[in-house]
Amino acid sequence: MNWMETPNMQRLEKYLDLLTFRQGLISSNVANVDTPGYRTQDVAFEDEMRRADLRSESDPVSPHVQEVRGLMERPDGNNVSLDRESLALARVQLQYRAGVELIRHEFHSLQSAINEGK
Amino acid sequence: MNLFGVLDINSSALTAERERAEIVASNLANAETTHTPTGGPYKRQNVVFETKQPDLGSFAMTLTRFGDLHARGVKVEKVVQDKTPPLRRYVPGHPDADPQGYVSFPDINPVEEMVNLMGAAQAYQLNVSATQATKSMISETIQLLS
Repeated sequence: MNWMETPNMQRLEKYLDLLTFRQGLISSNVANVDTPGYRTQDVAFEDEMRRADLRSESDPVSPHVQEVRGLMERPDGNNVSLDRESLALARVQLQYRAGVELIRHEFHSLQSAINEGK
Repeated sequence: MNLFGVLDINSSALTAERERAEIVASNLANAETTHTPTGGPYKRQNVVFETKQPDLGSFAMTLTRFGDLHARGVKVEKVVQDKTPPLRRYVPGHPDADPQGYVSFPDINPVEEMVNLMGAAQAYQLNVSATQATKSMISETIQLLS
């Protein structure tokens, strides 16, 4: 472990990784809003984050992707809901921003230590 | 998949939805076309969307850790011609009229086409929003360096 990889930093890295993964799934849902037979995909975010915490840092992100249940299905077999996806989009964006800000804060703490608190 | 790969997904949808809008425009423009190079009246066209297999050779994929193949883009798989028979209207003086004086017109319902166009516009807009969201995530990450 090098001195820059504080435990907070490692967790934040996993957090951003998982958010990026989720953003990919949401984008895929949004892109396939008119594809016949396409099913909405997502990850159980909290569960995956808990799982990521237990994982060693060298393992790649491999969240479990699942079909979202309980959505209204159209006659062509597609069940993408525009409302659900735009909400998820906004949510991920804000969570990501929060994660980046926290990383910036970590860097500031290190910087402050380097400057001997001056 | 990194954030650049996510941008590719939404851009594939922008292309597909634009193509759909073009087909709708062509249907509306040719609603009264009785004469085509292949003979007969214009036939209404429709796009068929399909999820895209990830392009493993692309720039964004080279940068990612492989294994995440759930997030997929979309493409226009084919353009199909509507099979409904043409409308026959009695216009005896028309150059395309048959010996009985009937002319075949394409069976195009402008309302149906407009609804299709609205669907394409809405999906396009949502994909633009998704692109903007991804873009801002990327630029926030870049600003960590400043």
